[in-house]
Amino acid sequence: MALFEARNIHKRFGSRVVLENISLSFEEGQVNGIMGPNGAGKTTCFHCLTGHYKPTRGNIIFDGQDITGKPPQRISRMGVSRSFQLMNLFDDSSVIENIILALPDFRRRYAQATRSVFDDRELLEQARVILDQVGLLGQEWLPSLSLSYGNRRALEIGVALAANPRIVFLDEPTSGLGAEATRQLASLINKLRSKYTIVMIEHDMRFLFELADTISVIHWGQVIAQGTPDELQSNKWVQRSALGEVA
Amino acid sequence: MATLSDITRRSSQWITPQIFVFAVFLLSLPLWIRPIGLYQYIGIEIAIWIIFALGFNLLFGYTGLHSFGHGAYLGVGAYAFGLFQLHVGVSLIGGLLAAVFAAALAGAFVACFVSHRRGIYFALMTIAFGQVFWFASIKMHGITGGEDGLLNIPRPDLNLGVYSVSLSGNTALYYLIAVLLIIVTVFTWRAMNSPFGRILQAIRQNETRASFIGYEVWWFKWAAFTLSAMFAGLAGGLFAMAQESAYPDVMSLHQSGLIVMMVLVGGGLVNFWGPILGVILYFIARDVLGSITETWLLWYGLMFVVMVMFKPEGLAGVLAGLSKNSAETLNDLPVKTAEGN
Amino acid sequence: MTQLVPHIFNGLTLGLLFALIALGFTLIVGVMEVINLAHGSLFALGAYFALAIIGGSWLGDTAIGEWWLALPIMPRYILALIVAPILAGLSGMVLELALRRTYGKAPLYGLLLTFGAALVIEELIRLGWGTGEQNLQLPQSISGAILLGGLIYSKYKLFAAGFAVFAIIMVWLFLEKTPYGAIIKAGAHDSEMVRALGYDLARLRLLVFGLGAGLAGLAGVIMVPIWGLRPHVGIDVVIPAFLIIVLGGIGSFWGSVIAAILVGLSVGITGAYAPAWSMMSMYILLILVVGFRARGLFGKKSALEN
Repeated sequence: MALFEARNIHKRFGSRVVLENISLSFEEGQVNGIMGPNGAGKTTCFHCLTGHYKPTRGNIIFDGQDITGKPPQRISRMGVSRSFQLMNLFDDSSVIENIILALPDFRRRYAQATRSVFDDRELLEQARVILDQVGLLGQEWLPSLSLSYGNRRALEIGVALAANPRIVFLDEPTSGLGAEATRQLASLINKLRSKYTIVMIEHDMRFLFELADTISVIHWGQVIAQGTPDELQSNKWVQRSALGEVA
Repeated sequence: MATLSDITRRSSQWITPQIFVFAVFLLSLPLWIRPIGLYQYIGIEIAIWIIFALGFNLLFGYTGLHSFGHGAYLGVGAYAFGLFQLHVGVSLIGGLLAAVFAAALAGAFVACFVSHRRGIYFALMTIAFGQVFWFASIKMHGITGGEDGLLNIPRPDLNLGVYSVSLSGNTALYYLIAVLLIIVTVFTWRAMNSPFGRILQAIRQNETRASFIGYEVWWFKWAAFTLSAMFAGLAGGLFAMAQESAYPDVMSLHQSGLIVMMVLVGGGLVNFWGPILGVILYFIARDVLGSITETWLLWYGLMFVVMVMFKPEGLAGVLAGLSKNSAETLNDLPVKTAEGN
Repeated sequence: MTQLVPHIFNGLTLGLLFALIALGFTLIVGVMEVINLAHGSLFALGAYFALAIIGGSWLGDTAIGEWWLALPIMPRYILALIVAPILAGLSGMVLELALRRTYGKAPLYGLLLTFGAALVIEELIRLGWGTGEQNLQLPQSISGAILLGGLIYSKYKLFAAGFAVFAIIMVWLFLEKTPYGAIIKAGAHDSEMVRALGYDLARLRLLVFGLGAGLAGLAGVIMVPIWGLRPHVGIDVVIPAFLIIVLGGIGSFWGSVIAAILVGLSVGITGAYAPAWSMMSMYILLILVVGFRARGLFGKKSALEN
């Protein structure tokens, strides 16, 4: 059985239908790509899957449990993590604190009010492991706002990983990155694929086709094609947009 | 701009050098307050309002919840202290516990309504509840004594087992309040560097992200509100003891606005010590300017307006701007941790 | 039930007056997303300006002063009704110039700045007019009582309520039926468009703020004969105004009018049974409504929620 499944998701805002009968299924340990034109409903779809929006109809199943309509914090604690397309960090806080805040071991201490965070070696060590993964070791005490754009994107992913999730949703991780940073991100995702199930929205088709095990194409709020990168090479829409975007 | 959370590394000591200096300042105050032309009672007022302000800033500065009705909890504490002395028994511990407990109860109740609200809606709901408490204190004659309030509240002795200390003198009372204030300072400092406090600050910065990494945001807001009401209640109880009375004015919108002004002028939005500076500045301004001109509030108000326009970081921000060195002493010395880096 | 009728009538009258008070507040919030906590102080300022115009004592013992005081009360009152709001509006414009520093920052700063301004204006009023309670002289034709359906009403209250209806309709017509209104409404939601149309956004904001402050001053002139005039009347006014716009929903013109009438009715009807608690009822009303409907009765999403 799939680790994460969306069954017939519909989402309407007033009379506007944004998602229509979306069904997706992500197997454990795979990298899954979602692509489609701007305004197709990809981010709305992510918002539904991670609890930001409640779908109008349909069910979301994670690890055999129905999580439809649960609030984001509950879904997050169950092991579903996400990054955001627009940067969404704790800007005043240091890099390492952004990570620490997301660690489950830290979260369990939420009611501690008289113990200092900053002498907790174990938390600092856990956070360093994550920062090492995303290549930010050495910058842990900088305010997160002072990082370069690419490093902020990396931190965005680091925060998603720090929650020790079973599945990670990444919303356009390469957006705004240069060629070199994109290559680094690709190697990061290759490192992560053994540990996490990954779902990512991506515009960069070369990036996606290189990394993904399966790809779903969303257009007009519907899944118009699904398959392995090889299968999708022959898809008309994919070919058309590949000509436009990649060639 | 300096911010409350822009720490690099913080000391995990209970008593930081700043807290030590502050404690020395407080405990030595009776020795030099008269020579500099002030009087003991202003020390009491300042210490009480700092307790109120530190608790308030947990909510206002650290959690980013802008309550404009916090005078209510000061008042609830004052009335609870008075009612305890008048109807239950003359007891310092009992009275203060009653004050803290009553304010916590009132705060927890209100927090249930407001912790799901944001921005202006939050501010207005806190004003509305503040007004409800204020109205109730005026109209419930039988309990609160109406507009006159509770009068002749006794100042109970401090009972230390074997001997008890009379607090009828202002110096003795000041020492009690100063010791409580030091405890409150140590606790709030510690709390804002604890997991609980760091989560509150994360919520201030980015509520959405906080919920996406698993936090029940409304619970933390509720807890911050209740906690800060407890400090207000403690301050209120001490205020009733100092004034030997409790009256509706303590709860008025005016007082709620005053605490906002003090905290902001001092720099509570960017610095732990801001509220303390703000309270001291206000009371000094009241007494020094007030002795020169009757319109001192006009000048204080103008200063506040200018501060909001040009330096919302407040006095702490001004001091930090004056020199890099003082910025470091204000913004928490970076401390090398043992494992280094 | 029949005993309730006069209370309902009173409540309605009061509601219209509340709507008048909230009018300028609504305009400024709707267009500029600024909560003007100095609204009440501008209200008071308008009333004190009217007091100065009608009283004319600052003209001193000059010939003009004597001529002015020799005039019947009516022309003096009418002049006050026109000039005092304009002066309040100009004061509002000064405030707007100060407020510019806070644009683009969190709404908290606008709130704090106008709060400080309220304190300053109140102190200035104390300085200029003293701390005591004052009375605004009224023309004979709108003072005294009138018998309606066997009940006695204050003529002035009816005049004030009628004036409130007039002012509400005028503002509405201004917003809906004139090109200026269209630009102002555009400014509320789309500052880009205002610029594209070739209007200066800074000047638009200055004018809207002046207009809102002027309406506050106008409400002051009208309301003060009913509520009395003292320096801290501003605080008594700004809280209900604030409450009404949140109850009605920020940015909704008719929402605030309806909310004002609801508040008036709840105060009026509570007054019938428990007079001491009548003013409290509006806070309870707010807590109940906003407790369940986060954005009030007709509110839309607003930057003020952040």
